[in-house]
Amino acid sequence: MVKVGEYEVQEGLYYHSEHFWAKVEGDSVRFGATDYGQKALREVVFIELPKVGDEVSQNEAYGTVESVKAVIDLIAPVSGKIKEINEKLTDTPDLINNNPYGDGWLILVTPSKLDDELKNLMTFEAALTWYQELAKGG
Amino acid sequence: MPRKIVIIGANAAGSGVASAARKTDREAEITIIEREKYPAYSRCGLPFVLAGEISEFEKLIIFPLAWYKMMKLNLLTETTVQSIDVKEKSIMIKSADGKESTLPYDTLVLATGARSFIPPVKGYDKDGVLALRTIQDGIKFKEKMKSAKAAVIVGAGFIGLETAHALFENKINPIIVEMLPWICPTVFDQDTANIVQKKIEEHGIKVIVGKGVEEILGDTSVTGVKVAGETIPADMVLMATGVRSNTELAVQMGVELGITKAIKVNSRMATNISDVYSCGDCVESQNMLTGLIGMCQLGTTAVRQAKVAGTNAAGGYSVFPGVLGSSVSTFFGVEIGATGLTEFQATRLGLKPISGVVTSKTRADYFPGAKDIRVKIVAEPEFGRIIGCQIVAGEEVTQRVNMISAGIQKQMTIFELAKADTCYAPPVNETWEPIALAAEMAVAKLRR
Ligand SMILES: Cc1cc2nc3c(=O)[nH]c(=O)nc-3n(C[C@H](O)[C@H](O)[C@H](O)COP(=O)(O)OP(=O)(O)OC[C@H]3O[C@@H](n4cnc5c(N)ncnc54)[C@H](O)[C@@H]3O)c2cc1C
Repeated sequence: MVKVGEYEVQEGLYYHSEHFWAKVEGDSVRFGATDYGQKALREVVFIELPKVGDEVSQNEAYGTVESVKAVIDLIAPVSGKIKEINEKLTDTPDLINNNPYGDGWLILVTPSKLDDELKNLMTFEAALTWYQELAKGG
Repeated sequence: MPRKIVIIGANAAGSGVASAARKTDREAEITIIEREKYPAYSRCGLPFVLAGEISEFEKLIIFPLAWYKMMKLNLLTETTVQSIDVKEKSIMIKSADGKESTLPYDTLVLATGARSFIPPVKGYDKDGVLALRTIQDGIKFKEKMKSAKAAVIVGAGFIGLETAHALFENKINPIIVEMLPWICPTVFDQDTANIVQKKIEEHGIKVIVGKGVEEILGDTSVTGVKVAGETIPADMVLMATGVRSNTELAVQMGVELGITKAIKVNSRMATNISDVYSCGDCVESQNMLTGLIGMCQLGTTAVRQAKVAGTNAAGGYSVFPGVLGSSVSTFFGVEIGATGLTEFQATRLGLKPISGVVTSKTRADYFPGAKDIRVKIVAEPEFGRIIGCQIVAGEEVTQRVNMISAGIQKQMTIFELAKADTCYAPPVNETWEPIALAAEMAVAKLRR
C-alpha cells in the first residue's frame, strides 16, 4: 500500500478513472471502489448491486452506491458475467469506507474481453501519477 | 428527455439541493450556478479560521470540485445569473470573462442566500469597517488583524461573539457594542445573557449593551466609533448586524415575497411560480411552535430545507416541517445553546410563560474537570408544554438542546421531562440530569 497525500493506492490492481479498481484473480476479476472514491463519498449508507449471472460492460453502470452526501453509479472496469456479489454490503455497506481494497469489495466477474479491456485501465504505476494530480486538486 | 434542473447558488442550500435532486433523479441534467470563486464552503467556520483553530480558509470547502464531478453536477463558478425568463423557462448567465449565455430549465431552485446587512450609520463606508460572510471577507479581516491595535464589534449575536473570541486569540481585546438591552437577544433572556456576558468580561473584554453606534469616525480609515456620545478608539470595526436575503432575482421574475421580505414558500419549498423552488437564507420559515412566519437563517435550516427542495424539484415528494431556531455556539470557554422561544418572546406573544432554572455540574461533583452548567426551561403554564430552553455550560450543550428540540416537536411537557429516563456515570454526567432538574423547578413554580 502506498499513500499519496491522504489517499491509499494498492499495488497489483488496475484502476478506472471513475475511482474503481479491478483485480485479476485467476480466471476471475474482482471489482471495488478506491480509497479516493470512498473518501469522496464519505459514510456509505446504501448499496444496490445486480444479481449473480447478470452481465456488466466496461465503463457502464451496474449499480449504485449512496452516501450521506452523494450518490454515484458503480462503473464496471471490465466486461463480464457476475459470479459473486459481496453479500456483506447489504447489512454493512460501510465496509466500503473501512476497507475499500479488502472486505469492501463489490462483485466478482468472469471477464469476457479481459486482455483488450485491461489496456483501457491504469496500472498501479500510472495510478500513482494520477493520484499525485488528484491529491493536489483536493 | 432528461429533466433539466437549474440551481442558483452553490453554498449550503444550493449544494444540498443538488445532492437531493441527484438522489431522486439519476438522469437529470443538473446545473449549479455560483458567482463566488469557491465551491460550497462553510461560512460557519470563518471565525474559527480567524481564531487560528483552522489553519486556512480552503479547509472550509465542504463540497470539493471532485464531489460535483462524481455526482455529475455541472458547476459553473464565478458565474452570475443576470435574469430569468419565466415564460421561456430560461436563465441568463454571465461568466467571469463577461460572456453572456442563456440556459433552459424544467425546474429552477433559488438558493441565493443572504448578504451582510450593514446599517447605514454615518461613516459606515470607511476603510476598516468590515463584515464577515465570505472567504473574501475573511481574508480581508485576517489581513487587517495583523496591523490593528483596537477593534470594535457591533452586534452581540453568535457571529459577533465568535469573532470577538477570534480577535482575543489574536491578542486584540475588542469592545463589543450591542444596541439591545442584552447580548444574543434573539435566543436568550436577560438572565441567561448576563451570565454569558460575565464570562466574556472575565477575559478582559468590555461589553456595552443598550447603546447603539452613532457614528464611525475617521477620515478615510476608521479611527474610532461614537457610542452614546463617547468615543471608542478602533482601527477595525466588525459589523455583525445581521443579514438580508438576496431576493433581487426573485422579485425580477415575479416570485412572491412574504411578510419578512424574504421569499415565500410552501411546505414543499415551492414558490408561487410553478416549477420554481427556493430554500436557505433567502426564504422565510414557519415556526413549529407558534405557526408564525419569520426568519431562521441558519446552516442547519438551509440544509434541511435543501433536501426537501431538491427532492421536489427532481420530481419526488418531501415536506419541510418548520423551524424552532435551535442554535449552538462556543466562545470564551463556554458553550451556549438555545431552542424554541425565550420567556421574553413568549410573553410578547401573549403567553404567560413560566420557567425553571438550575445550575449544576456536567459531571459528578467530585469528578475532576466537572464544569458548571446552567439550564433554563421555558414552558406554557396551562398544559406545561415546553416551549424553549437556554443552556450555558463548560461542555455538553449541543445534545441537550437537541433533546429539548425533539421534546418540543413531540409536545413534551415539563412533567414528562422532569421524570425523563436519563443516563449517568460520574465522569460524564451528574446523577440528576440538569435539564430534568430544570423541568422540575418549572413544575414546582406551577404548583406554587
Ligand atoms: C460567520 C458566520 C458564521 C455562521 N455560523 C453558523 C453556525 O454556527 N451554525 C449555523 O447553523 N449557521 C451559521 N451561519 C449561517 C450559515 O452560514 C447560513 O445559514 C448558510 O450559509 C446559508 O446557506 P445558503 O446556501 O442558503 O446561503 P449562502 O451561504 O448565502 O449562499 C448563497 C450563494 O448564492 C450565490 N448567489 C446569490 N445570487 C447569485 C446569482 N445571482 N448568481 C450566482 N450566484 C448567486 C452566492 O454567491 C452564495 O454563495 C453562519 C454564518 C456566518 C456568516
